[in-house]
Amino acid sequence: MDFSANHVGFVIASYALTFLCLAGLIIATLGRDRKLRAQVERLDTQRRKPR
Amino acid sequence: MQFLANPTRFLRIANAVLPYVWAITVALFAVGLYGALVTAPPDYQQGETVRIMYVHVPAAWMALFVYTVMALASAVAAIFRHPLADVAAKTAAPIGAVFCFLSLATGSLWGKPMWGAWWVWDARLTSMFVLMLLYIGYMAIWAAIEEPHRAAMVARVVALVGFINIPIVKFSVDWWNSLHQPASVFRMDGPTIAGPMLWPLLVMGLAYTFLFLALHLTAMRAEIAARKIRQIHIAEIGER
Repeated sequence: MDFSANHVGFVIASYALTFLCLAGLIIATLGRDRKLRAQVERLDTQRRKPR
Repeated sequence: MQFLANPTRFLRIANAVLPYVWAITVALFAVGLYGALVTAPPDYQQGETVRIMYVHVPAAWMALFVYTVMALASAVAAIFRHPLADVAAKTAAPIGAVFCFLSLATGSLWGKPMWGAWWVWDARLTSMFVLMLLYIGYMAIWAAIEEPHRAAMVARVVALVGFINIPIVKFSVDWWNSLHQPASVFRMDGPTIAGPMLWPLLVMGLAYTFLFLALHLTAMRAEIAARKIRQIHIAEIGER
């Protein structure tokens, strides 16, 4: 890729925006999954304890 | 399909395949980006700007594909009462919305240097914008209605009615005079793109597809956990 070409800023902006959005989506999805699965495990452990 | 109706069985399969799906996604992105940014030649008219195609076109394909998945899952939920179909539709929506936003935003970044405008109310762009609104509306229903069964009933209708927009997006460039270029990959007479530009585009398309698969399986797993938490809380209230 020729970084001195015309309009190359638009190309860089497109890839940067794509990276930011996809990284955000991946982090949010994995974070929610981890948090909820940990919560289920905690609640299951609590319920198994004798009262 | 009923084989996957049991959430425990689904989770077992998802947990087993997810590491491989993530690994394939990373490998495809590495190859696709190398092709898009290093080996693919600049266009004789558009120059380096054509490289926006490798992130814009797969995002647009995925925005259409994910909505189709949502509509199919909604139809399966309505007809067969498949217990995971609504979960599949609900969890696909935010992923599809991000792809749709990326397609609109990168399209705008491509349009400014090529057409001289960030946005035009052209048939393709407008129908894509309507698709974005459908995604937002669909997600708003799930957020607004607390009871999952009622939310699912309304959301299914939106997903199925909104599906009419998918062929409109696809064929808008053929049905109306459009500033947007016509289809150049999925055509009856074969692709019109040169090989050195086509293969990175197809690899990036596959990378986006595997990314969706990985994110969707993960999001479904999280949603199943969220529903289990809700059930545990309801059971606790009942025991009091």
